Amino acid sequence: MIQKKVCLIGTSAVGKTSLIARFVSSIFQDKYLTTVGVKIDKKNVVVEGREMTLVIWDLAGDDDFQRLNLSYLRGSGGLLFVADGTRQITLDQVLEIQSRVVGAVGSLPCLLALNKADLKACWEIADEKITDLRAAGWRVLSTSAKLGTGVEEAFGELGRLMLPPIT
Amino acid sequence: MPAPPLSPSPAVAVLEALGYGLFVRDAADGQLRTISQPPAWLAQLWPALDAPGSVLPVADASPFLENFLLDAAACWAAAGEQRLSSGPWVERDPQGGESELEATALTLPNAGGAVLLIQRLGEEFTDRKSVLQKSRENVLINQRLNTELQKKDILLHCIAEDMSAALGNVITSLRLIELEQEPAKIRRLLDLAALATQEQQSLVAHVLDAFADEIRCLYGGSASDSRRSACDVATVAQETVAALEARFREKRVRFNFPTPTPASARVAINREHLERILTNLLENALDAARVGGGVALRWKVETDTVLVEIEDSGRVLPPETSERLFSRFALASSGAANAETRLHFCRIAVENCHGEIGYEPRADEAGGVYTGNIFWFRLPKSPALVSR
Repeated sequence: MIQKKVCLIGTSAVGKTSLIARFVSSIFQDKYLTTVGVKIDKKNVVVEGREMTLVIWDLAGDDDFQRLNLSYLRGSGGLLFVADGTRQITLDQVLEIQSRVVGAVGSLPCLLALNKADLKACWEIADEKITDLRAAGWRVLSTSAKLGTGVEEAFGELGRLMLPPIT
Repeated sequence: MPAPPLSPSPAVAVLEALGYGLFVRDAADGQLRTISQPPAWLAQLWPALDAPGSVLPVADASPFLENFLLDAAACWAAAGEQRLSSGPWVERDPQGGESELEATALTLPNAGGAVLLIQRLGEEFTDRKSVLQKSRENVLINQRLNTELQKKDILLHCIAEDMSAALGNVITSLRLIELEQEPAKIRRLLDLAALATQEQQSLVAHVLDAFADEIRCLYGGSASDSRRSACDVATVAQETVAALEARFREKRVRFNFPTPTPASARVAINREHLERILTNLLENALDAARVGGGVALRWKVETDTVLVEIEDSGRVLPPETSERLFSRFALASSGAANAETRLHFCRIAVENCHGEIGYEPRADEAGGVYTGNIFWFRLPKSPALVSR
């Protein structure tokens, strides 16, 4: 079976752990609980008719208190960058992190999840900004770990991007 | 004189007593083996570790350790005094229980060379997590406060603009009275001035209401119902246009109101916010319109929404400006700070009601040449029986 390592990257409190909990266990917890270090989960998925195990690394948010250890990304097949749609600053931060990540591990299949779509009325990230990101080559998806919206799609799309060609 | 090196046995005994998992890399096969009885927690995580000399089942047991050991190998190869810490991670045992661990790679020439220590963090992890949790919660609170301050900043700008607009209407009416001879027209201008004064008074009352609502919320109450309402586009549009009449007249800009007035179109928005949106967009159009030009307001009832359009005959906005019109500070570089605040407020107010707002250049009848600007917004229709 194909096995791929996926890392979730973003600053703190954007919902990385919640996205994984929704995807792997179909659960959501409203209270913010910070992640310390790394936690790894696995999930088997079928992508375009092929079975794949996603080994999902939940990395603590990169911020002033904890920096992302780039060696954790070694061997990744794909990256899911996450920002909180209700906080523009988290998008600026994840784009800064992404430039560090590319410098360290090169270009990998990746997606940008703008999380907290359930709070769309409070979003600070404007549609024009999303259009600009897409124009710059980003695959951007709107997700809600709370409602489950876009979560399967995000991991499914990343799975498709990581799928090795049939030989 | 340097202290004699610590013999392996006491060192192992100390680490064992501290509950560390202690592994030494076997120079022959590169495997990591325990050099003492593994602590119970380690055997619970990886049952294969049940006796001294057991091999750490890296590849199958822990993707995290597998990754860390690549860095550890580099550390051991350097054979210096440096230590390499893995940072904390959470490992799940076969029963689904979780342990918080941290590994350290170091080289001890007198204790077998390459050594790997694995520590169960326990309380240390809980403490670290607690500090981080508090710190990050404080950052979130700080960010929320900053956002609130920015919103208040915009609102203050809006209030100042409202005050200034109403005063402007009074001043314009008074100036026009000086030039006017006909009593009927003077009467009309006096009415407009009075209307603008009442508007200003009403605005002050709304500001005071808003402060009162905030104070109520601070003390655990809820905002007053007047802030969750619905209103008729036609009525609000007529009143808004009437309030701006003197300014249109002064600039000699024609105003085209739909005739006959379309049917009632009730939308789900607070009346004051709709007034503000219409005023902002009409003032924007008035600023843009050429002297002697025209501004038109119209609306259309759709299936679930009402579409409102404000059209002016001014200079068409360049694409680089039009793409970012509703962002805060979008027009700062052009010096149009007031227009920027107006449009940003419109966007906040419309989107708060689950509506949308946009801009497009106005094309001529042949559709080939752009001859003005259209600002539009779309609001959800209110349920028929929602009252003000």
